[in-house]
Amino acid sequence: MLVDNYQVTDAHLTRMSKEPKLSDTWAHYHLIGDVLRGEMPETVQLDLSARIASAIADEPAILAPQAKTSSSVAQLKAKVLQFAKPFGQMAIAASAAGLMILGVQHTNVADNNAAMPRQVVQTVPLGGVADPVSYDVEQTDRAAQQQAYIMQQRRFQALLADHQQQIKLNSSVAAVKTDKAKEKHTPK
Amino acid sequence: MKIIYLAFWLTVTSCSAFAFDQESSKSWLERLSKSLQTLNFSTSFVVVKNNQAEPYHWYHGVGDHGTQYEILALLNGPRRDVLRKGDVVSYLEPEYAPYSIVSNRISSPIPTIFSGDVSKLEENYDLIFAGKSRILGRPAQMIRIVSKDHHRYGYWLWLDQETGLLLKLAIITRKGQLLEQIQFTHLDITKQPAESLQQLAKAKLPHVVDIPKNSVNINFPWRVTWLPAGFKLIKTDRHRITITKQPADFMLYSDGLVDFSIYVMPSNVKHRETEFVNDGATVVLNQVTNGNEVSIVGKIPAETSKMIADSVMFNQVSRP
Repeated sequence: MLVDNYQVTDAHLTRMSKEPKLSDTWAHYHLIGDVLRGEMPETVQLDLSARIASAIADEPAILAPQAKTSSSVAQLKAKVLQFAKPFGQMAIAASAAGLMILGVQHTNVADNNAAMPRQVVQTVPLGGVADPVSYDVEQTDRAAQQQAYIMQQRRFQALLADHQQQIKLNSSVAAVKTDKAKEKHTPK
Repeated sequence: MKIIYLAFWLTVTSCSAFAFDQESSKSWLERLSKSLQTLNFSTSFVVVKNNQAEPYHWYHGVGDHGTQYEILALLNGPRRDVLRKGDVVSYLEPEYAPYSIVSNRISSPIPTIFSGDVSKLEENYDLIFAGKSRILGRPAQMIRIVSKDHHRYGYWLWLDQETGLLLKLAIITRKGQLLEQIQFTHLDITKQPAESLQQLAKAKLPHVVDIPKNSVNINFPWRVTWLPAGFKLIKTDRHRITITKQPADFMLYSDGLVDFSIYVMPSNVKHRETEFVNDGATVVLNQVTNGNEVSIVGKIPAETSKMIADSVMFNQVSRP
């Protein structure tokens, strides 16, 4: 559907795609519609391709200056390259291994951190039953962290459960209130 | 000059189209509200959030004297049933002994305003008439409830063309990210109320508990200095939090569609960084500054909850 509920034939479409003025008008209508309905994205993606293309066409061509290379330099380069190549490959392999180790460490760290802010509260309250904490002699720090995490979870669960309970108890009051508001309400 | 004229003309026509939009989506929502109150239906839906699905069954019926009967049951895990007989709603939950309260709305995953006065939505939201699609094997009309500011989420509804009943609901961030959705999986509309509702009509409900009178005028040693426009104070009290039994100062705010709670209590630590969790569209925020723990819970964006929490100002006088 092009615009609202209008029936559009192929002839319309081909005419519109050939005449830039028509397709522009169509795009403007829809932009206005989007703004009015509050459906605008955070950033507007204007079609810049046509403008960029014309800007490039207008740009004076810059010819790349010819590279001046003397024969001696070229020879030297070739030698150095030959010499350096095996080392280079070794270096790349070594650095790749290093990256892998770094990568593994990094994901470990990320996992530990991600566990903290990205949890999701279970909707059905557990009634204060904590998950068992495994005590690790070497990692008392981690146990403390886990303890804090459980405390935090319990806090969140208690708040969520209480909020839901308050809404339940309040639905009676809300019902009465809306009726009152209705009486008071005067059309503008 | 021509261009200005054209722009003017475009704006005028689009605005009138928009006004028509708002009107027709409002009439769809009014139809939803009416259907939820007057039809006999038996339906199932699934709440999808956090990669989990919660299935519910929901019956609604109207008895001989116009009394409305409802049953809402969570189908997975421990039994959680909500029963309604006219103006009495009973909750059967594993944590408490069964109790009833005086109310004509059941608390369910579906916002209560959809079976109430939908015109209240217009104060803070734009109602947008969007496309048609097929949901639950039925032709459906989509209505978007879009916040007028960026401090709350949008609700997208898919309504049955034939009856106006809800077939699907999604809670969407302003950037279009889906946070929570309710998908109906079955819908039966009958002439007579369902068998289980007829049994409910004969059954005796648990005793009605007294809820302390709503006292909005408690003086707390703190106040909230910023709120998104349109949120009104619904309730103020001091109570013990359900699980931890910790006493807290409590305020409940609502804009008609969305509720959020503010909890303020003394903490045993001096300072704790802000922590958030999300349960579908619901955010829980918790932070401690100067020994005061401030928490916000509700279906609002995390940024909004942070702004509200930061706006809590304490009076100079120390806590009693």
